[in-house]
Amino acid sequence: MIEFRNISKVYKMGEVEFVALKGVFITVQKGDFISIMGPSGSGKSTLMNIIGCLDTPTEGSYYLDGENVSGLTFDQLSTIRNRKVGFVFQNFNLLPYATAFENIELPMLFNGKKGSERKRRVDELLDMVGLSPWARHRPTEMSGGQQQRVAIARALAMDPPIILADEPTGNLDSKSGHEIMDIFSRLWNGGRTILMVTHDPAIASYSKSTIRLLDGAVQENGAAH
Amino acid sequence: MRVQLLHLFWNESRKRRKKTSLITFAIAWGALSLLLMMSFGRGLSNAASVNFKGLSNTIIMVSRGQTSKPYQGLPRARRIHIHLEDLELLKRQIPGIVMISPEANNSHNISYRGKETNRSINGVYPCFGEMRSQIPEAGGRFINDLDQENARRVAFIGWSVAKELFGDGDPVGKDIRIERTPFTVVGVLKKKQQGSTYQGPDSETVYIPFSTFCQIDFQRFLDRIHIRPADPREALFMENQVRRVLGRKYRFADDDAYAVNFWNTIRDYETGAKIFKGIEIFLTIMGGLTMLIGAVGVTNLMYAIAKERTREIGIKMALGARRQHIVQQFFLETFAIFFKGTLWGALLAFDIVGLVNRIPIGYEDYGIKSYFMRPIFSFDILLIFLAVLCALVFVSGIFPALRASRQNPIVALRYE
Repeated sequence: MIEFRNISKVYKMGEVEFVALKGVFITVQKGDFISIMGPSGSGKSTLMNIIGCLDTPTEGSYYLDGENVSGLTFDQLSTIRNRKVGFVFQNFNLLPYATAFENIELPMLFNGKKGSERKRRVDELLDMVGLSPWARHRPTEMSGGQQQRVAIARALAMDPPIILADEPTGNLDSKSGHEIMDIFSRLWNGGRTILMVTHDPAIASYSKSTIRLLDGAVQENGAAH
Repeated sequence: MRVQLLHLFWNESRKRRKKTSLITFAIAWGALSLLLMMSFGRGLSNAASVNFKGLSNTIIMVSRGQTSKPYQGLPRARRIHIHLEDLELLKRQIPGIVMISPEANNSHNISYRGKETNRSINGVYPCFGEMRSQIPEAGGRFINDLDQENARRVAFIGWSVAKELFGDGDPVGKDIRIERTPFTVVGVLKKKQQGSTYQGPDSETVYIPFSTFCQIDFQRFLDRIHIRPADPREALFMENQVRRVLGRKYRFADDDAYAVNFWNTIRDYETGAKIFKGIEIFLTIMGGLTMLIGAVGVTNLMYAIAKERTREIGIKMALGARRQHIVQQFFLETFAIFFKGTLWGALLAFDIVGLVNRIPIGYEDYGIKSYFMRPIFSFDILLIFLAVLCALVFVSGIFPALRASRQNPIVALRYE
């Protein structure tokens, strides 16, 4: 489903070059649940950004669902992000002035879904993450765990096959963290492919396997839990 | 624009009302200035045009003069008078004349049932009425061909003469006396703005058939001839033709500008119209510049909003927003600020114009009031305004919108 062929990413800051990824080969099958671990600066975020089509590799090819997406335009990548990938961030990244309902319907607005369809889907997702009574509340009125559940619901709005989570429990207490991981487990059991960056071995233990990065290269791939 | 995105925009703009209120005021002020400048400018042009037409903008008037240079052995400073038979001569020799009328006048005593006054009595042909904007009040008429043919004792009087002799009564059909000769009033001049005159305003004048005038006041010379050319564009050409024809008869040079005097209302009107159009354009530009200052403010605000919302834009891009979604949203927001400001400005402008137009101006008031107190809104003013508005929305929205949409989503997501 996800295939990296010799992917490198080099950032240029003036004269200085910074190699974030060098010659990475990864294959992720449909239905995998993979943790990505590694110290700061090891290239985890860059890897996630390229997988999520937020960034493009400097070298190498990235195949998503058999399609080479390394050379696509910004708008083509936007469409892929909208339909195939759901992002869950460490700091939730909800729009502060919008209610839970409005946050969740956002990806559907970019896709032009009709109002009735949006409402049905948002209600369904709110129910799934157990926040139906909170539909009209804004992020500032919710706990971190609740906000992250809204973010997960938003990531699922377009029913994408892949969920990318960047330290989804990083800002949560351990109880909320495990609640979130329970939701991820359910999603995985439902057939979704999940990639998750984490520092926490306890959180990583929810996943099926782990990719370890060090200095932009894959150090260990596929260690099963 | 998709309805869904409008919905999104609405959610977001609710949050920013306070920040935009000052800039909305600036736009309102700009729109108000532009609309008022255009409206007053157009009113000014229009008032000038109306005042011109009160006299006429379709005729050339010829009156006596004095030669300014020697010609064929004749000295300069000879008086040149014009005569009734010159009308026939001019008509015969210049085919472009469609109407021609003599005018001779003198001050005479007029009375009605004991009320007496002294007024200018003018003898003219029936076509004078059309040439010199002598429109009768309902129920009356101007002098006609039968009046002229039969030298009928009929009179067409100005409204202030009517007021003086008849008060509020209807003069039509009544007999007035001019130097003890009875004349029947056949019409009263309808009120009009008249910006210029040669022997007092038409409102204070009495017109009678030229043939009748000759019976009560014998004059050897005409005071002036009124000529309407078939084609107003040939006004100057006709003036020169008239000068040449009269020059041959009275023996003065073709280029002697003072031998007979011309008042070319067609050319004066054109020149005046150009000047007032120029003022109108100048005012429009001034108003537009005022609005431009507001637009610069909007651009600044939109840049600030783009920066403030960097992270939000990153989030949206991660969720699948295309560049056009970001651009559209910024444009919509720019438009909303303009729309709101413009709405306030326009409503105020309409009110001000409405109120100013309620200020009464008398028909004899040819002062500054008659020029400045009649602002006008018209369809083309609205079109110009909308065009300026669209241009400003586009110019002030496009750069912030493009900057916002061209951000790198990763950098934007990290923005604090």
